[in-house]
Amino acid sequence: MDTTVLVIGGGWNGIKVSFELACAGYRIVLIESGTSIGGQAPYDHLASTSKQELSILLDRVKEDEGIEVLVSTRPVSLTGVPGDFHIRLEQHGQILEKATGAVVVALEAERVSMAEAYRLSPGENVLNQSQFEHVLASTKERGLPGGDGSKDVLFLVGLQQEGSPLVMERAMRSALEIQASEGCQATVLVGNVKLAEDGLESLYKQSREKGVLYFKLKGFPRIRQNGSNLRVGFFDGVLHGDVELTPDLLVVEEAIRPHPEIRDLARVLGVDTDAEGFFQADNVHYLPVRSNREGIYVMGPARRPCNLSHGWTDAQNAVLAVCHLLREGKRLVPKEKAKIHRGKCTICLTCFRVCPHGAIHWDNRAVISSAACQGCGICAGECPMDAIQLVDYRDDQMEAQILASTEKGVDGPQIIAFCCQNSAYEAGQMARLFGSSLPEGLQIIKVPCAGKVDVEYILTAFEAGADGVLVLACHKDNCKSQQGNTFAEWRVEDAGRMLEEIGMEKERLHFATIASNMSVEFVRITREMEDKLKELGPNRIKKQAAG
Amino acid sequence: MNQSSEENSQTQTPKKVLVIGGGIAGLTAAWELTRLNLDVELVERSSFLGGHAIQFCCKAADECQKCGACSVEKRLLEVIQEPRIKVCLRSELKGMNRNSRFSYTLSRQPLHIDPKKCTNCGLCFEKCPAPGAIFRGYSKNNVPLYAINEGKCLYFRDRSCTLCQDLCSEKAIDLDQEQGQISDEADAIVVASGFQAFDPVDKPRYGYGINKNLITALDLERMLREQGDVVRPSDNKAPKKIAFIQCVGSRDHKLGHGFCSQVCCAYAMRMAEAIRHRHPETKVSIFYMDIQNCGKNFSKFYKRCKDSIRFVRFMPGDIFQGDQDQLILFYGDEKDGHAVREPFDLVVLSVGIMPGSSNAGLADMLKLDLDEHGFFSFADPLDSTSTSQPGIFLAGTAQGPKDIADSMAQAGQAARRVGQYLGICFGNSTTY
Repeated sequence: MDTTVLVIGGGWNGIKVSFELACAGYRIVLIESGTSIGGQAPYDHLASTSKQELSILLDRVKEDEGIEVLVSTRPVSLTGVPGDFHIRLEQHGQILEKATGAVVVALEAERVSMAEAYRLSPGENVLNQSQFEHVLASTKERGLPGGDGSKDVLFLVGLQQEGSPLVMERAMRSALEIQASEGCQATVLVGNVKLAEDGLESLYKQSREKGVLYFKLKGFPRIRQNGSNLRVGFFDGVLHGDVELTPDLLVVEEAIRPHPEIRDLARVLGVDTDAEGFFQADNVHYLPVRSNREGIYVMGPARRPCNLSHGWTDAQNAVLAVCHLLREGKRLVPKEKAKIHRGKCTICLTCFRVCPHGAIHWDNRAVISSAACQGCGICAGECPMDAIQLVDYRDDQMEAQILASTEKGVDGPQIIAFCCQNSAYEAGQMARLFGSSLPEGLQIIKVPCAGKVDVEYILTAFEAGADGVLVLACHKDNCKSQQGNTFAEWRVEDAGRMLEEIGMEKERLHFATIASNMSVEFVRITREMEDKLKELGPNRIKKQAAG
Repeated sequence: MNQSSEENSQTQTPKKVLVIGGGIAGLTAAWELTRLNLDVELVERSSFLGGHAIQFCCKAADECQKCGACSVEKRLLEVIQEPRIKVCLRSELKGMNRNSRFSYTLSRQPLHIDPKKCTNCGLCFEKCPAPGAIFRGYSKNNVPLYAINEGKCLYFRDRSCTLCQDLCSEKAIDLDQEQGQISDEADAIVVASGFQAFDPVDKPRYGYGINKNLITALDLERMLREQGDVVRPSDNKAPKKIAFIQCVGSRDHKLGHGFCSQVCCAYAMRMAEAIRHRHPETKVSIFYMDIQNCGKNFSKFYKRCKDSIRFVRFMPGDIFQGDQDQLILFYGDEKDGHAVREPFDLVVLSVGIMPGSSNAGLADMLKLDLDEHGFFSFADPLDSTSTSQPGIFLAGTAQGPKDIADSMAQAGQAARRVGQYLGICFGNSTTY
């Protein structure tokens, strides 16, 4: 395994994780698409109060022989497997090739002015938050610009976006600062005051004590911008009436958006993004820094808007993940979880397309990387030639288990429940252990992921005499393999149609989602199935066999 | 690496870390530390691992709502399967001395049930004549699954009953087991002692404890987890109208709680959605000051909630008793300010995260500082796990309010900082 780690993004998060990884013994290639590394402007309040620490960190990263910094560089393509990736980089039109064991994406987020969303034209009396901070910083020495310096400053926050504590904190700090100037009044129009961050409630209280006025609005204010004249009107829920303000200066919030390179990078790396365009699908199994691909980690503002402290928390978690994957480069290759039968494989590319972990690649035939494979079995379930077998869940083993489960004679309806080991299986174990009364004829068959349940298994279960079959998966967005539950649901629909074609009630087959801690739900689902089967009577195939 | 250092590495005993607190932060820190090839002693004050979070319900509606409760279940399973983690239940830190390592003393209350012998058959739980004397853990992954409450057990009252001990075929129960002390040494410490939920008795105007249908969000979590559904405690019927009152105990400067608990808006909205998923006809209102964000793509989630939940920006004052065990809330109409009187079948108090009751004692023993609110304060503004004491790190709500995801991330960071402190390279202590 290669003990080089590629870090993408030369802002304060990329710098931090590079430094930490270098401390942990790894060689680093740190790439940045801009012309230099280091945070451009104070990234947030934490960054601006820790300037010295940051400049020391930057110097150490620049001096560290184990860290190769490449600026004006972008990734072009990534091949290989975790521990042994090959990345092609583009720098000034030249292609560089690097081998790397792991990839950490630490791109910063982008701040975008929301003036347009507020239907305001930026100008001398309409500034966005960053511009205003700049003014505050530069007037510290020279005093406030214009006249006697007295000014009414109005902040607009959380009215055109939901906002976040990051946005709120900046507005509160600026309001507090301007309020402290002689003759100045700061007023904040805000939707929800976002305070879910250490210290912000205190800051909010402090700013109110110093005289900053807050109006919490439910709707959008009426804003009229006529040259130097500004009029802002709104309904106030506390005063129960209309209020009109004529501020000298409007400060408009900024939105925090995903780094513009994320879209291309997601494609290059084969890594999922969320609905807002940040890295990491919205799935708790990936927290904190995992992506859908083993060996590729996403951190800090590359995965959600966050301050530097949270970004650096991610950095340490990324180091842990890298350490666990690569160790000192001599880690034993993990046990093979899936095998491809070369004779049966017709190179149809199905497995390659469906693998959510990017674990299958091509070398004149399908090859499964045992380091990247998570053993979910979605590929095995989808392979039209049955050429893929999971090591501990081979088709013949599964079939034997299904047949064995229907052998025992029971009084009530015979139910086979295919249970994902991450959710339903655990819930079923908990129900048993807690002494819940489960259907007598219930047989639980563990699968590594519901996406492993083949249509074949369902049909085999009915052929073997099961009166009903349950396929129990994780909730949507909670599948460890992201889409295993969706594949399972599709297959249940397919199998249901087949049952109908042969004249069997499709109600005998049921798909449901559940979590590992829902033992009560497990009892309910299996009981309901039992009741339904009692109504329907025994499986006809079984009756025919018996007759 | 040369030959001699490799030989060295094999004879070197792994270093050991004391983790204080067996909630989600402590579990995560412990598990991550073992992945760095360190041994862990995990100390938990209560009878079960998992802390508050193991009591939480799954809040999925049609889809997962990312509350993270299932992650706790998974992490607990990983911890109990990890032989390098030595678990000390019903134990508390009693003393600590710093020499070249940390010498510590734990006091250990008797478990009475031997986890090695117990087969979780549940016979003792089933047959015990004293209600509540034997209680069960929240998760199947609690080992042992049962515990004895000495305050309710007849044996500890007057030695009149030894039924459980007599019935247990595995001889796993020993009611005469005595409390003990453990003295040992560790190379580093992670403080993950967690929080306590705000006790609404401290806010008497709500009358918690008087009306059965006034419950805390923690009560609701347990109800949804254990019964799989929500009912009115007074008559076990499904409530048609539910009110959540936010910021109970948090953001309350009169109580000296000048902080946001950061999790209550999220759990209230998620539980409301989970309830409406089961009973779409149920009407839910959330009384709030400011709605706080949670998870990814919050604005979309909030918008969806606004379609099905009524949000009222008003903090109701006194709660009055109505007919049929209903509760009456008064609040100001948002348009004209007029007082509105509205009955609800069930009122849920969204109680906040308060500093743990043991924080002051722990801070004293470990020579750590607490912040103005009573949480452990961190030394470096860019590292919330850092303390004024080298080798001692913070994780989870001991440091301040946070959700499951952030607690886990911070615990990972604490584990990594321990690794750094102990000079671990390549994530492997024995190869250094």
